[in-house]
Amino acid sequence: MRTLLRQILDKGFTTASAGAVVLIAAALLVVLIPMFGRGITAVVFTETVEFRRLEKDLHGRGDNEHLARALADAGAAREPIYTMLREFSEGIDTEPLVKQARDVYQKYGEYLNYHNTPKEQYSEYRKQAKDVRDGLVDALESDDRQTVLEGLDAVLKEKDNPVFADSPAMEFFAMAQRYKKIAETVDLSHRAEYLANLQEVTAAIRQLLGPLPGEATPPLWMDQYGATRLDMALKAKQALLYDEQWISEGPGKPMVKKIVARKEQFAGTPLELLFDRVEADWDKLLQPRLRIYWQYFIDDWVNSHYFGGVGPEILGTLLLTLMSMCVAIPLGVISAAYLVEYAGDTVWIKIIRMCINTLAGVPSIVYGLFGLAFFVVTIGAIGKPCILAASLTLSILALPVIIRASEEAIRAVPQTYREASLALGAGKFRTLLLVTLPAAGPGILTGIILSLSRAAGETAPILFTGVVAMGPIPSFGSPSQWLENPGSLFGWLFQPTRALSYGSYDIAVGDRISMLAPHQQFGMAMTLILLTVALNVAAIVIRSRLSRKLRGC
Amino acid sequence: MGNFKSDQYKDPDGEFAGEPMTEVSVQGEKRNRKAAAEFTRPLLLSASQDLAGYVMGHLGRTILFLITTTSVAAVFLIFYFVIREALPFFTTGGGAAILARVREFFTDPGWYPVATEPRYGALALIVGSLYVTAGALVVAVPVGLLAGVFLSDIAPFGLRQICKPVIEILAAIPSVAYGFFAVMVLAPWLQTHLGFSSGTNALNASLILAVMALPTIISVSEDAMTAVGREIREASYGLGATRAETIVNVVIPAGHSGILAAVILGMMRAIGETMVVWMASGNASRIPSPWWDLSQSIRTMTATIAGDMGETPKNSEHYFALFTVGLTLLLFTFSLNLLSEYLLGKAKAGRGKR
Repeated sequence: MRTLLRQILDKGFTTASAGAVVLIAAALLVVLIPMFGRGITAVVFTETVEFRRLEKDLHGRGDNEHLARALADAGAAREPIYTMLREFSEGIDTEPLVKQARDVYQKYGEYLNYHNTPKEQYSEYRKQAKDVRDGLVDALESDDRQTVLEGLDAVLKEKDNPVFADSPAMEFFAMAQRYKKIAETVDLSHRAEYLANLQEVTAAIRQLLGPLPGEATPPLWMDQYGATRLDMALKAKQALLYDEQWISEGPGKPMVKKIVARKEQFAGTPLELLFDRVEADWDKLLQPRLRIYWQYFIDDWVNSHYFGGVGPEILGTLLLTLMSMCVAIPLGVISAAYLVEYAGDTVWIKIIRMCINTLAGVPSIVYGLFGLAFFVVTIGAIGKPCILAASLTLSILALPVIIRASEEAIRAVPQTYREASLALGAGKFRTLLLVTLPAAGPGILTGIILSLSRAAGETAPILFTGVVAMGPIPSFGSPSQWLENPGSLFGWLFQPTRALSYGSYDIAVGDRISMLAPHQQFGMAMTLILLTVALNVAAIVIRSRLSRKLRGC
Repeated sequence: MGNFKSDQYKDPDGEFAGEPMTEVSVQGEKRNRKAAAEFTRPLLLSASQDLAGYVMGHLGRTILFLITTTSVAAVFLIFYFVIREALPFFTTGGGAAILARVREFFTDPGWYPVATEPRYGALALIVGSLYVTAGALVVAVPVGLLAGVFLSDIAPFGLRQICKPVIEILAAIPSVAYGFFAVMVLAPWLQTHLGFSSGTNALNASLILAVMALPTIISVSEDAMTAVGREIREASYGLGATRAETIVNVVIPAGHSGILAAVILGMMRAIGETMVVWMASGNASRIPSPWWDLSQSIRTMTATIAGDMGETPKNSEHYFALFTVGLTLLLFTFSLNLLSEYLLGKAKAGRGKR
């Protein structure tokens, strides 16, 4: 019995520990799958014709002819929708019509002036025109069908009045005619309701297809185009076809979501057809097709990441890490070589080792504080947050990682290598330089890659020392500038930069516009993970090859 | 061997002098002699060469040593600058105010640096840091130790080769990416599935910190347990213990200092972490009450520095206060580091004894 219990406990323990590892692997998947799954949609997605238009305007990419043909196709499909919308909104949203009527009246007055109408005739004609206008405006502003029709008929009776013949006033009658047609079909008593819904429909169509024809070009790029991606288009389509209402079922009860088809809201009106039309002509309206937008990794963004890619962020991260490695690698490898090959067991060496361990344990934000106090505030030559200050801070952070990895790699070189070299008459330094370091090379490289990935992912140390969320791309100048002033070659060192790590923070928490484009948010984080994980995988591969070599296979 | 004379050129009176070159033209002779000299340089150096070699050797060694001391310099510079910028926080008010400032900093839970009457009480921040760290360790220590045991004692070699890269990749994911995950994926999930009013809270931050502390805990504890010798395990098996009994009663007690060091290193990772807590903890500087309610927002020292420093003018009181928070954090991790080093040293010494 006791044995059985012990066996069960033993099995249970084994299962639990295996379960822990499975749990960890699951955690890794839980983190990586949504990041990659949603991040990849920034690169691979179904583009619409709007996206191709955007690319053409922003970067001049794409085939002009194809694009023109696609736009013409899409335009042909869109035209009936725009017409339907315009005609219906004229009936419902009469404010522009009223304004138009007033304009016509004014134009008529100018027309009379232009034709030098005698004074008494002039006031007489104007009075008649004013009557017509007021009749029309009254009809337009009324919600009662009977009143409207009667008013319009009264206006239309004046049509053959010779006073108005061939004058701008004829527009009155055209308007009356058009409006009469609408008033006969649309239930005007629900005008307020229609009006509110119509605004939502118009907004949805703007989201879907871009600004309506005749509208002024919006100032922001993001408003100048319709849905550039199929997922966004589907969202806009949902908003277009269905109205989402939150209805309170009485005091104290939670609001209940209710979805109403717009088609029902507009039942019996000419607009009813629009929704079927959008569904039927969906492919023609937007012309979706699969796109691998690899330029995501080189493009700059537009409108706070609403469009575009992460090119400058990648560039900034590379500049920061490479610069920091330029400092950290020589220092780190030399330190490691000294510690292994020369250092005895003295007090000094103990202090050095303790300091390396301390350095490895300093929180990254404290590195940031140090970088701010030392590189930015104290060193006058730097004086402001910039790439140089940030990469120097990062290099101190990467130093202990490189030292430890290199030390381990140098230590792993078999003693026989060194002895063989010494026996051939080489000195200690020559042995180190020509035998030990090359033999330890792959191991050191592994350490360098790991610290590179650590430096690339760090955010806190560069927060105050040289990273910005929005700013110009570091400029390297041109060859002619370099010849003129060699210092300009290094001008980029003294500029702040964007970086993937801080960008991932800002795009998730700081930035409001990018929240409208989740694929962009996940795309940035995915790029960062991709970069660091790829570096790590490279390190793992190098190391496994190395260990195979050392085992002699 | 006596005198080994190999240099014909420098030693023309030697026994081999002149002999091989009698038939060669003058020019060719010169070239040959030069080549021979190059080929057979003396292993014995002249006094001046010896001195030069000695000096160069020591000079090179000193240069290498100086380069190696960069780390020492870096540590001292870090301490110097953080302390330099933190001190004015205490000393601006004059002698009597120093104690009051210290007391305010460590006992006042109110951190209101931009109020009209600013208060710089870091108690809530310190508690917040410790709170999420404890929350992370509650999850990470059992899971991490079990995984360490699995890797050191249970898993066959092939499986271990697969598990290690997984853990390395877990460690490789940047903290800001974890923070991104916490805000964009975990927080909405917590809100919709567990009904929290806000998804960015202590639970969220603790969970993510646990995942981030795991690789450290696993690798250090696995090392500690692997270092416990095979003979000890075999002795235990020989006495009839099962594997679980061996691990719990023999391996873990034998490797306890290394395991403790693993926990402390994991704790350091969690307490010094910035981006995750900044993004996921909600940043409300108050002491959680009741203490067990993990769904409350808290604020940590690191997040306070990261969040406030951007909007703080240089050399203001707030700026100095933030450096004081940084100094507290630095001293905290420094002492933890010393402790872990002591423990690891002890573990090493114990291993040496066997």
